Amino acid sequence: MSFIGNEEQIRFLQDRFKFIYGILFIGVGVLLSRLFFLQMINGDQMRQYSEENRIKRVKIPAPRGMIFDREGRLLIDNRPAFYVNITPQYLKESGKPKEVIGQLSKVIKIPVDDIEKKLNKVKGQASFMPVLIKDNLTRDEVAALETWKINMPGVQVEMGISRMNTERDVGSNLYGYIGKISQNEIPGLNASIGQNSSRKYQLDDSVGKSGLEKQFEEHLRGIDGSELVEVDALGRSIQITKNKGRVLAQNEEEPSVPGKNLILSIDQDLQMAALRGFGEKQGGLIAIDPRNGEVLAMVSRPSFDPADLSRGVDADIWAKLISDENHPLRDKTIQDHFSPGSTFKTITAIAALEEGVITKDTTFNCGGSIMLGNRKVHCWKKEGHGTVNVVSALTHSCDVFFYRVAQKLKSVDDIAKYAMHLGMGRRTGIEVGREVPGLIPTEAWKKQRFNTEWSPGETLYVAIGQSFVLTTTIQLANAYASLVNGGTLYKPMIVKSVQNEDSKTIKESIPQVLDRTNLKKETIDLVTEGLWGVVNAPGGTANWMHKPGLEFAGKTGTVQVFTQKAEKIYQKCENLRFKQRHHGVFVGYAPIKNPSIVVAVYAEHACSGSHGAAPIAKEVIETYLRKYYPDVYNDKALAEARKKPGIIQFKASGGD
Amino acid sequence: MSYSSMETNLDQQFDPNRMSTYEEEFKWLKWVPLILEIIILTWGMINLSSATAVEDKSAGLWKNQMITICIGTIGTLFLMIPHYSFLSRLAYMIYLGNLGLLLAVLAVGKSSLGAKRWIGFGGFSLQPSELMKISTVIFLAKYFENKSTTSGLKFKDLLMPTIFVMIPLVLILVQPDLGTAMIIMLVYGSILLFLKISPKVLVGLTIIAALALPVVYNYGLKPYQRQRITTFIDPMSDPKGAGYNSIQSMIAVGSGQMFGKGWKKGTQAHLNFLPEHHTDFIFSVFSEEWGFVWCSILLLLYLLFIMSGLSVAYRSNDKFATLLAFGITSIFFWHVFVNMGMVMGMLPIVGVPLPFLSYGGSALLTAMSGVAILVNIANKKYMF
Repeated sequence: MSFIGNEEQIRFLQDRFKFIYGILFIGVGVLLSRLFFLQMINGDQMRQYSEENRIKRVKIPAPRGMIFDREGRLLIDNRPAFYVNITPQYLKESGKPKEVIGQLSKVIKIPVDDIEKKLNKVKGQASFMPVLIKDNLTRDEVAALETWKINMPGVQVEMGISRMNTERDVGSNLYGYIGKISQNEIPGLNASIGQNSSRKYQLDDSVGKSGLEKQFEEHLRGIDGSELVEVDALGRSIQITKNKGRVLAQNEEEPSVPGKNLILSIDQDLQMAALRGFGEKQGGLIAIDPRNGEVLAMVSRPSFDPADLSRGVDADIWAKLISDENHPLRDKTIQDHFSPGSTFKTITAIAALEEGVITKDTTFNCGGSIMLGNRKVHCWKKEGHGTVNVVSALTHSCDVFFYRVAQKLKSVDDIAKYAMHLGMGRRTGIEVGREVPGLIPTEAWKKQRFNTEWSPGETLYVAIGQSFVLTTTIQLANAYASLVNGGTLYKPMIVKSVQNEDSKTIKESIPQVLDRTNLKKETIDLVTEGLWGVVNAPGGTANWMHKPGLEFAGKTGTVQVFTQKAEKIYQKCENLRFKQRHHGVFVGYAPIKNPSIVVAVYAEHACSGSHGAAPIAKEVIETYLRKYYPDVYNDKALAEARKKPGIIQFKASGGD
Repeated sequence: MSYSSMETNLDQQFDPNRMSTYEEEFKWLKWVPLILEIIILTWGMINLSSATAVEDKSAGLWKNQMITICIGTIGTLFLMIPHYSFLSRLAYMIYLGNLGLLLAVLAVGKSSLGAKRWIGFGGFSLQPSELMKISTVIFLAKYFENKSTTSGLKFKDLLMPTIFVMIPLVLILVQPDLGTAMIIMLVYGSILLFLKISPKVLVGLTIIAALALPVVYNYGLKPYQRQRITTFIDPMSDPKGAGYNSIQSMIAVGSGQMFGKGWKKGTQAHLNFLPEHHTDFIFSVFSEEWGFVWCSILLLLYLLFIMSGLSVAYRSNDKFATLLAFGITSIFFWHVFVNMGMVMGMLPIVGVPLPFLSYGGSALLTAMSGVAILVNIANKKYMF
C-alpha cells in the first residue's frame, strides 16, 4: 500500500482502530442486551401493557323492565338517548382544547363559556372521568358530531337508556324516576343483593330513586353485559371511527339480561281522566277497587317528566324541581297528610252508631253554633241547619250535629278505634315507598306526646276531622273502601304481577286483608245513605254535580290551611292568597249498589271539597262507569234518566 | 494496482480465465456501505409505510420520503464522481456555507413544534443543522490532516478546533436542537479520541465536564429539556405527562416480543399511543411489528454498516480520507446508539433520528451523502 501524506501517522491511526472497535462492540452489545431485556424477558409484561392500552371493556347496558297498566298499555318505556361527553384528559392530550371546544360549541349550539364552566366544575375529579356536556341530543346533532369526531379528540358521543313516561308527567310520582347512583348508595344496594357479583352496582349505574322505580328496583333492573372494544390513544373507539364493531373475542362478550316488567293495577284511562279533572289544580287522587284493594288510578299534581332526571340531572332542572313550592317530586296521595275535615265525619258517624250513642232517630238542632264552656264553636253554616239526624248531618255536613255526637261519646278513643280499624293513622303498606302514617289522636297519645290530659272539648274538633287528625289521600280512599265493602280493609295493591321479557308471570300479587271491622248493616246503610245525599239530595254539599242516571255518592271536606278568625273563615276563599286558600277534599264511590270504585281527591288550595275536589273525582268516576258498565251507564240511559222527574226523597227533615 | 473504476472491474469479472488476486476477490467490499444502505433503506421504507399508515399528521408522508430518496440517489451519484479530495479543498468553504445557512435559519427560519430549525426553498424545507454534522467532520478532517497527534492532543491543540465546533453548536442549540448538537459533540469527541488525547488532558476534561454538568443542567437547559432528564431517571414520576412518551415507547418495543405483531399490526403505533412514531420513535414501530429476531438482524446490519465504514477509514492511505470516513461513520454510530437507547428507555428523549428508518428529508440526504462519500473514498484511494 502506498500512503499519501505522513505514513507514520496513518499507521498510528490504524492502530487506534482496536480501541474504536472495542467501543463499537460495547455500544452494540448494550443495545442488543436492552432489546433482549425488553422483548424477551419483559416481553409478556409489555405485551400485556400494550393490550391494556388499546382494549377497553365497554358496558352493554341492560334494558330496564318496562311498566304497563292493567290492560297492557305501556306506561314507562326505555328510550335510547344520545349524550355527549368530554374526557378532560384526552382533551388536554389533544394539545388543542380551545379548538375542540369551539368546534363542539358550534355543533351542539352551547356557548363555549358554558362548556368550559361545566369542565371547570369538575376540576377536582380524576381527569379520565367523562364530563356530561349535553344530554338528549337530536339526530342531527349526533350525525354532526360523528362527522366532526376526528377533529375533536376527547369528545365522545354515547348512547344511554332514558326512561320515558308515555304520557310525560302523568303518574310520574307513582312510577318514580331513575338516576345515577351516588357513592353512598352503593354499599347498601350491594348488601341487599347478596353475593351475586354480576349484579353488583358500580359508580356509573342508574338506580331507581323514587316510586316504583325504587321499590321494584330488584325486578326492574337488568344485568348489564359487556364487550371488548379497541380504542386509540385519545380514547376514540375503533368501533365508531371505522364504522364497524371490532369485538375482539366472542367469548369475552357478556350479553345483557333485560329487567322484569311490572303490570300495574292502574287503568291508564282513569289516569288520564284524573289529569283532565285536575286541569291546572294541584293535589293527589287515588282510586281503589273496594272489592280487592287494587289501585286503579294514582295521580299527583304537579308532577315531573322522568326523562329529565334519568340521564344525569341537569342542574337547572333539578334546582327548579327541588325549589318548586308546589312540590312536584312529592307523591301527594301518600306523602302528604292533612286534616281530612268533613270527610272524617263519616268515621265519627260510624263510631257513634256502632257505639250506640246515637241511632237513626237521634236528632239535634243546629243553630249555627254551640257553646263549649264559655267559647262559641261555629258550624260552617252561619245560620245553622235546623233539626238534623245522622243522614242529613252527613249530607249537609253539619258541624253542630257532630259536636253533639262528640259530647255524647265517652272518649275520643271511641272515634280513634274505628278510624284505626278503617286504616287511618297507620301506613297502608302500598308498595310505593316513603308513605307517611298520618295521625289519629287518642288520649294516651296526647298524654305521651304533650304530657297533658285530653280535654273533652278537643274531641269536638276531632269529630269534624280537625285538631290533631291527619290522614293521607290513600287512607281516606281505603277507609271508605272498607266502609262500602262491609268492613274489610285491604292493603292497596299497585303491582298486579311481575313478568319477564316474554310475558311470563314470575310473581303475582294477591289481595291482602289488613283488618276486618264487623260493622252493623244499619250503620253502613245509614252512613251510605248520608253519603248518597251529598251528591244526589237537594242541599247535599255536592248536589250541584248531580247528574241523573250517573249516580255516585261521596263526602266533601274543606280544610283550612291556617287557623283563622271567625270573620275570616267566612271570607270568600278565592280572595285569599293561593297558599292561604283552603284545601278541598272529596271521597266518592260508585256504583251506589255494590261499589267497585272509591275515589279520594285532595285538591290543594282549591277552596272547597265540593267545587275544588269533587269534580275531579266525578271525572274519574264517570269515565270508570262508562267504561266498566257500558250497559247501564251509556248516553242513551243517561238521556232517559234526565227525562224522568227527579223524585228524591229525603228521609230526615233537614235544613237547606 | 491501478484498477479503480467499476467498468474495469466488471470487465475482469467476465473474464473466466483471469486468476483473481485477494484485492480483486474482495473488490465488492468497496460497495458494502452502499449495499447495506440500500438494504436498510428498503427495509426502512417498508417500515415507514406502516408507520405512516396512521390517521394523524404522518399520514401519507411515505411518498415524501420516496421523493427524498430520488433526490438523494442523484446526489449520491454526483458525490461519487469527483475525487473526494475536492472536499478537502472546499472544506472551509463548506463549513462557512453551512454556518451561513444556520444563521439564515435564525433570521428567516420556519418554526415547527416550538423549534426554529428549517429554511424553506420553494416547496422544500431544509434543516441545515443536519448537514452541519458532515460539514463539521469535513472541517475537522481538514484541520487535523496535517497535524501530528501521535503524542496525544494537548489543551492548546484543542483550543482552535473546539472554537470552530462551538460556533455551529451554539447556533444549533438556540434553535433549539439538542439532539443534533449532542451528536456533533459526540462526533467531535470521537474524532479527538481517535486522534488520541494526552492522558492528562483527558483527566482534566473529565473533571471539567463533571463540574460543568450541574451548571449546564440548571442554567443551560430549557425546562422541558430538564424534565426529559427527570422523567428519564424516573419515568413513572409522571406517566401520563412527561414520562408518557418514554413509557409508551418501551411498551411498544417490549410488546414486539420474539417475532413481533406483524407489519402494520403494531397497536401502539397505529392507535396513536406512540408519539412521533414516524420520526424519532420509528424504531419503536419497527420493534413492535418485527420482534426481537428481526430487530437483532437490523442491529447486525447497522453493525456491519458501521464496520464497513470503519474499514473504509482503515484502508484509506490518506489521513484526510481516514478522518473523514471515520467521522462520518461515527455520525452513524452515535445516531443509532442514541436513538435506540432513547427509544428503549436507556437515554433521555432527545430528537435524534435513526438513519434510513426515520422520516425526514434533511436527515436522509445527510445520511445518503455520508454513504456516498464513504464509497467515494473506498473506490478512489488508488487513483493517484
